[in-house]
Amino acid sequence: MYRYDEFDHDFVRDRVAQFTDQVERRLKGDISEDAFKPLRLMNGVYLQLHAYMLRVAVPYGTLSSRQMRKLAHIARTYDRGYGHFTTRQNIQYNWPKLSDIPAILSELAEVEMHAIQTSGNCIRNVTADHFAGAAADEVADPRPYAEILRQWSSVHPEFSFLPRKFKIAITAAERDRAAIQVHDIGLQLKRNEAGETGFAVYVGGGQGRTPMVAKLLNPFLPEEHLLSYVTAIMRVYNLHGRRDNKYKARIKILVHETGIDNLAAQVEAEWEHLRAGELKLPDADIAAITSYFAPPELSDRAEGWAQLAAWKRTDEEFSGWVGRNVAPHRHPDYAMVTISLKPIGGIPGDASADQMDAVAALADEFGFGEIRVTHEQNLVLPHVALADLEPLWRGLKAEGLETANSGLITDIIACPGLDYCALANARSIPVAQEISNRFADARRQEEIGELKIKISGCINACGHHHVGHIGILGVEKKGAELYQITLGGSADENTSIGEIIGRGFEPERLTDAIEVIVDTYLAERTGREEPFIDCYRRVGAAPFKLALYGGSEVEAA
Amino acid sequence: MTRIWTTSGFLDNDPWDLSTDGSGEGARVLSLDEALELAAGSNEPIAVRIEPADDVTRLAPVVDRVVFVAVNFPAFSDGRAFSHASLLRDRLGYTGEIRAIGGVLLDQVPFMLRVGIDSVATSHGPTIERLAENNLPGIKLHYQPAAAESSPVAGYSWRRRSAP
Repeated sequence: MYRYDEFDHDFVRDRVAQFTDQVERRLKGDISEDAFKPLRLMNGVYLQLHAYMLRVAVPYGTLSSRQMRKLAHIARTYDRGYGHFTTRQNIQYNWPKLSDIPAILSELAEVEMHAIQTSGNCIRNVTADHFAGAAADEVADPRPYAEILRQWSSVHPEFSFLPRKFKIAITAAERDRAAIQVHDIGLQLKRNEAGETGFAVYVGGGQGRTPMVAKLLNPFLPEEHLLSYVTAIMRVYNLHGRRDNKYKARIKILVHETGIDNLAAQVEAEWEHLRAGELKLPDADIAAITSYFAPPELSDRAEGWAQLAAWKRTDEEFSGWVGRNVAPHRHPDYAMVTISLKPIGGIPGDASADQMDAVAALADEFGFGEIRVTHEQNLVLPHVALADLEPLWRGLKAEGLETANSGLITDIIACPGLDYCALANARSIPVAQEISNRFADARRQEEIGELKIKISGCINACGHHHVGHIGILGVEKKGAELYQITLGGSADENTSIGEIIGRGFEPERLTDAIEVIVDTYLAERTGREEPFIDCYRRVGAAPFKLALYGGSEVEAA
Repeated sequence: MTRIWTTSGFLDNDPWDLSTDGSGEGARVLSLDEALELAAGSNEPIAVRIEPADDVTRLAPVVDRVVFVAVNFPAFSDGRAFSHASLLRDRLGYTGEIRAIGGVLLDQVPFMLRVGIDSVATSHGPTIERLAENNLPGIKLHYQPAAAESSPVAGYSWRRRSAP
C-alpha cells in the first residue's frame, strides 16, 4: 500500500498545525461559528446532536494493521471504546471533545492518516473497489489512480469552496463493487483495443433527495489525462453549479439541467486548454505510485484445498461462513475474506476497540497486515491462504466477528439516523436491529439469498436507500416516524433507483412489511437461482403492492 | 474599516474606486459589461470588477489593456472567484493586480494567493491583525500546480513548494 514520503509527512503535519490554529482562534472568538463551520468540516469535524463527530479518512478503504491499531487506540482513549465504519470507507468517532481533536489528528499523522476533506464542500475521500488488488476480474489495481487523485485534490486552492460536496469512486472491474454510477464522478479503469490504459468517465450520479444514475461523459480517457480532465470537470462545476439552493447544488443537477451533451462540450472545451499542460501525468509517476500497491508475495499454498475441504466437512458453521464471506482470489490458493460488521441485532458498521485490535492481529497473522473497509460497512482481509481460513475463522469467532451474512438480508447498510445525526428525521439503527433480529435464522437467510436492505433516516440518503433492493427511508409525519419503502434499487453495474412502493409504515409495522415483501419474493421467484432484484425486475411492483396493501392500492397505482 | 493588504504590505492610498456607482474616490472600477463597452469605444486602460456569475474569459481580447481586476467573494462559501483568478492568470496571461473583495477572511487568503490573487480588501479585525503580522495560516507544500509562483518538487510532477 502507499507509504508517506517526507513531503506527505510534512504536509499532514502542517495541516494539523493549521487546523489547531483554527480551533484556537475559534475558541478565542476570532472566528465566528458560521466561518468556522466550513473550516472544521473540511477537516472532518461535524457538530452532531449530542457531541462533535470526527470522521477520519481511510483513502480508498485501504488500511494497514498498524493503522487499525491506532484507530482502536483512538476509540479507547478519546471516545467510548468504539468506532463506526461508514459507507464512504471511512471511520467516524461519535464522542470526541473538540479540544482533543488536534491531539487525535497528531496521533493519526503518526500512522499516515488524517481527516482531510472527509466533509465539507470539497473533493472528498476517493473510494474504490474493496477487493482491488486481489480480485480476479480487474483490469489493474485502481488504487494507484485513487491515490493520485487523493494527492492532487488535497487542499486544492481552486476547488475547496465548491457549490457542494464532491465524491469520486473508481473501479477496475466490469462487475462494479464501488457503486461508481451513484457518484459525482465514477471512473472505470479499462484497456482499449490498443492495450492502453484509461478510464470510462461517468458524471452526475448521486443519491440525496434527487437520486440520479450517472451519465457516461467519456468512454475512454487515456490515463495520462486523468488530472487535467478531472480539473476541467471541476472547473465547469465550480463556475456553473447552482449555489442558490443547497439541494440543487450537486453536479447531478448541473448535468440534468445542462444536458449531458452540452456539459460534455463545456468540459471538452475547458480540457482543450489543459490537456497538454503541467497536469499531464508522466508514465514514470504513474509507475512510481503503482509500485506501492504491488501485491504481497503470495507463495503457493496448494495444501489448503484439501484442508479446507476437510474442515468444511467437519464443521457446518465454518462451512457456511466460507460459502458466504469468502470469495475467490486471483491466486487459486488464496481467498478474499469479508469480516461482517453486521452481527445479528447489532449496529451496522460499528466495531469495538478490542475488535479492531483483533482484526489487526489476524491481518498480521494471516493476511499480510492488510485490511479493507467496504462501502457496505464491513471489513475485508484481501489476501488469505485457503490453508489459513480455519484458524482465521476461530480468531474472528472469539471476537464475535464470524457472522456469515455477506450480501444477505441482515447485511444491512444504515446511516446513524436520529440516534446521532442532527439532520435525521427518524431512527435507522433500531430499524436495522429489528429487521436483523427477525431474520436471524441462518438457514432462512440462505434460503432468501442475496438481498440488500439499505436504511436512511432522512432524505439525504446516507444509508443509500435509493439503491437498496429494499430501501427504507425514515421521514417525519405529524411528529411521528414513518418509513417509506422503495423496491428495485441497485448500485452495481446495472444501477437503478428504487421505486416507492406505496404509503409508509409506522415503526411497529415496518418489520412485518419487510417480511411480507420477502415472502412475496419467495412465492414469485422462479427458484433459488433468481435473486430478489432479478425477480423484482421481472415481475414488477404489482405483486408486492398487492401483498402489502391489498387490491385497492394496486388499482389506484 | 476596510484595509487593503497586498503581498508587500498594507496599502494606504488605494487608487481604485470599487463602489458600483462611482461614488467613491479614485479611478472607477467598471463592471464586466461596462468594461467591454469602454474597451470597444476607446483605448483607455481597463479596471474591472468580476462578479461570481461573470465569464472572465470575455476579457481575453482586451486583456493587454486591463490594469486592475477585483474578484468578488460575496460569501465565504462562494468559491467561483478562485476559478476566475485561475483563468485570468493561467488562461488569459493577465499579470496585473487581482484583488479579492467581499467578505474576505483569513483562512481564505492562502487559497487566494495560490490562484494568483495578490491583494485583498478586508474589514475583519482578527484577519487584519494576522495579515499585519504576516502570519498566514497556509501550508507551503502543495499537491497541485497553481498560478502562484512555486517550485517543482523532486518525486511527482504534480507537487509544488512555495517560496518560504
